[in-house]
Amino acid sequence: MSFWQATMKRSVKLSRTYFIMGVLMSVFGTAISNMYSLIPADLLNIEGTSIDLMNSMPLASVSFLSLSALMFSMPVMMLFVFDKNTGVLEYLLSTGLSQFDVYTGYVKASSSLAIILLTFSNVLNTAIGIYIGTDLGFLATIVVLTFAVGLSGVLLGAVSMMAFSSFQKTQLGANQPLGIAIGMVPVLPALLVSFIFPLYALVIIISIAVVTLLFSLALLIFSGRLIPREKLLP
Amino acid sequence: MQKLEIDEISAGYGGKEVIHNIGLKITEPAIYIVLGPNGAGKTTLFRTIGGILKPFSGRITLDDADLFNSKEARKRIAYLSHLSALPEEMTVFNALKYYADMEGGDIEHSLELLSLSDLKDRKFSSLSQGQKKRVSIGKIFLRERELYLLDEPTSNVDPKISKEIRDIIIKLSKDKFVLYSSHNLYEAREIGKYLILIKNGELKFFDKIENIKTKQYRVGIKALNDISDLLPESEFDNGYYVVTVDNPTAVAKIINDLVHSGAGLTEVRELDNPLQEFFEGE
Repeated sequence: MSFWQATMKRSVKLSRTYFIMGVLMSVFGTAISNMYSLIPADLLNIEGTSIDLMNSMPLASVSFLSLSALMFSMPVMMLFVFDKNTGVLEYLLSTGLSQFDVYTGYVKASSSLAIILLTFSNVLNTAIGIYIGTDLGFLATIVVLTFAVGLSGVLLGAVSMMAFSSFQKTQLGANQPLGIAIGMVPVLPALLVSFIFPLYALVIIISIAVVTLLFSLALLIFSGRLIPREKLLP
Repeated sequence: MQKLEIDEISAGYGGKEVIHNIGLKITEPAIYIVLGPNGAGKTTLFRTIGGILKPFSGRITLDDADLFNSKEARKRIAYLSHLSALPEEMTVFNALKYYADMEGGDIEHSLELLSLSDLKDRKFSSLSQGQKKRVSIGKIFLRERELYLLDEPTSNVDPKISKEIRDIIIKLSKDKFVLYSSHNLYEAREIGKYLILIKNGELKFFDKIENIKTKQYRVGIKALNDISDLLPESEFDNGYYVVTVDNPTAVAKIINDLVHSGAGLTEVRELDNPLQEFFEGE
């Protein structure tokens, strides 16, 4: 078993509450996505308002589905802090891993968990969508957006969390959760733009996800130079 | 032929140098005691040899392979820090398996060697400090290496286990390099063949322990009879007649004289550890 696989397995065992919360949030996101079918048509297109609930609500659900992925992968980020403090990261460096190998291991573990939940969410959402007669093209758009926003959020959260933790001066410092808050940056616009700029929502959400993804990957690639090895020591 | 060469290395943290131009060459398999006061730079030296810290300058090679740049060379090193460095949420068996899966190795061998078989299903976090230390040591014996960097391996361990660990390390040192840091001077003298003394980040002494010359030797003597007349220069302290001489051969002459005068000697012991002097200068 490789380092990242072992890390993923450990994360699952470390806290089941996060996983339960992640699954519940993805179910909630699916409900939001399909709720419009339960609302009478005359309420969905209110005269005199530019808000198109029929299209906006499924788009807004992207943020909830993405947030569930962030929550589902959060134990991996906690594990990084834990492993740093107990000397596991120091030992891994002594075995020949570089700091880039270490960071990549945790990022792979968190991304893999996110992919698992996003797959579950999208299968559930698509199945319900097909059942209630949602347009297939629209469902496919939700899938693409959810993966793009969810993965970029998880990647940014994981990399930021590790960076904040690495630069923490004391073990008891509390900057680590900032990484998670930063991970929510690409997720929240998906909630708002669908209501504020419904015409451009798709382009804005995709653009934010792509920029976030590129920024996070650049941060990860340069982590070896930006963050010295000693920052992984307890 | 194995050879560890530390070539004028300087290293530290955040650009601040902790160890300065340390250079030494090790060619004989043995236990090398790394001694020094707290903050002297022992752990930094171990971390630099172990490839954890990148040296600011200088180079460390094991059989001419650069230890920082060669992953293959690093696989020949075992590093034991004073922290457990094990996933605390796992059982003992799984914690060792965590590293065995990554590095390879025989878990059962480690469990048996460190007498951990009874603990293998216990959660690591539920163990006592001493048991945790044994498991932590167990991970470096998962497979054979050529250079062992052991940072206080017997701290927090009871005397019985401490002796077992020392015995394992002594056996190991027959054909491996063992760098062993300790604050226990008696332990250091008992098992060490060489002494590496670090003070203020600098190498102050590197030689065989048997070559250490001390300024004076204090010997405690117990006898069945009153020997104060035979040892007029001695002090009586805690049941011992304490004699202070300036070289070990003087002790031999005193003992010989006492035996021939029928003193009824029951015990002769060295009261000071020659390594003590290295700390007294602080």
